[in-house]
Amino acid sequence: MQHPPVWLIAPAIAAFVAAPAYAVQYMNIEQAQKQFFPQADSFASMPVEFTADQKSFIEKAAGVRMRYNKQPVWKAIDNGKQVGWVVQDEVFGKHEFITYAVAIDMAGTVLGVEILDYRETHGREIRNANWRAQFHGKKHGAPLRLDNDIQNISGATLSCKHISEGVRRILALHETALK
Amino acid sequence: MNPIAAASPQHGDTLTRARPLLGTLVEISARGTSGHTLNTAIERAFVAVARIQALMSYHDPQSDVSRLNRNGTAGITVDPHTWFVLDTARALAEASNGLFDISIAPDLVREGFLPHHADLAPADAAANWQHIELLPDHRVRFSRPLHIDLGGIAKGYAVDCAIRALQDAGLLAGRVNAGGDLRLFGEAAETIRVRHPGAATQLLPLCQLREGAVATSASYFSQRQHQGRVVTPLINAATRQPCIDTRSVSVLADQCMLADALTKVVFAEPDQAIAVLDHFGAHAVMIDADPTLPAYCRVRLSDSTGWRDALPEAAAE
Repeated sequence: MQHPPVWLIAPAIAAFVAAPAYAVQYMNIEQAQKQFFPQADSFASMPVEFTADQKSFIEKAAGVRMRYNKQPVWKAIDNGKQVGWVVQDEVFGKHEFITYAVAIDMAGTVLGVEILDYRETHGREIRNANWRAQFHGKKHGAPLRLDNDIQNISGATLSCKHISEGVRRILALHETALK
Repeated sequence: MNPIAAASPQHGDTLTRARPLLGTLVEISARGTSGHTLNTAIERAFVAVARIQALMSYHDPQSDVSRLNRNGTAGITVDPHTWFVLDTARALAEASNGLFDISIAPDLVREGFLPHHADLAPADAAANWQHIELLPDHRVRFSRPLHIDLGGIAKGYAVDCAIRALQDAGLLAGRVNAGGDLRLFGEAAETIRVRHPGAATQLLPLCQLREGAVATSASYFSQRQHQGRVVTPLINAATRQPCIDTRSVSVLADQCMLADALTKVVFAEPDQAIAVLDHFGAHAVMIDADPTLPAYCRVRLSDSTGWRDALPEAAAE
């Protein structure tokens, strides 16, 4: 590097202990829909409520446990004709809670995955369904508090294993409920 | 339009997007003068990352890495991106006397961090980076059977490629963060934070950076139990033993590819790493958690003479 870095370590020790949880909202579901299907003129909400058979099909096909009975799903419609699906989903690990959207075309192929919200905490509240519910994409009228100051974090985040599993689960959902 | 006003931070939109790529979350943020330009540029930056993933993934049987692991001894032509990363890996291996070595894939498979590919011929246990021949016209040949993994360098290179896409679009500022391998450019310096190695959700302000890269390696999220032992994907290439401890290592460099790879060298042998860091114009920070005191840690900075404590008064307490 041309210049040695400007270190901030010395005065940081106090702030260090009380570092807040980290949260980012990347986009809301409407923005994700337009990003996936710019040609679509409307998105029709048709949430899927799983039957017991569908649940066990998904668990078997995707090899993951089903936590929910209902999944937010939209049809992307261009000039009266369906051009694809948008499915909203959420995954959580020990420290992080992620909502994301998956676009699927009419052939059942994943067109893209966009992260909607990412939040990281000390962990305990992530297991609490009520805590998670406050961040659901459908409630995007309530603005999330963004820690704009804390954007440049170097240091591994968790692997996106949970998201890969989630996408597998959504493809199984498509197979059993959206075909 | 007044060009000075257009370049000031108050003018222009910022857009941030994240997608799952490279086995982690890749976040791309950029500032520019029009929302449409930003969206297109960020899309191109994601495409650049996906391209590097397709070329250099160990998991993907179609990648250059997999083709080399299957047929490297016959000699094959690879993409110029792959050849360039292999060339840099070679420079790093040479400068570090083999502390950085991309031929450790069999060790990572054994520890359960990479999948076992049944179609690969067994690697020669004595083979290493010196048996990878980089030939003209982007040809590569293995002089002994070996398996490479670019997991310790390709993520940083993907970040560099994404940054180039943002710069090529003429944006005012940009930042790409691939699970902690981070590079940015812009008019104003920004604060870079790292995670506490003993409490990963807590953050420590590390430095101010206007242009450059920071990569951090630590075992806090990747360390896990495998067949009754604690394992980590950070492997000392010289001893082929996993690096298990409570440290995190951050490296600052111009290119994220170098920062990413150099964290592995510092992790393996901090003292030997000093000369390697100097060779590549890089700086390193080592943070040691004190497990008896969750919020406390020892911070050391590299300089050309060795490691010095960043907080001498705190260390003395």
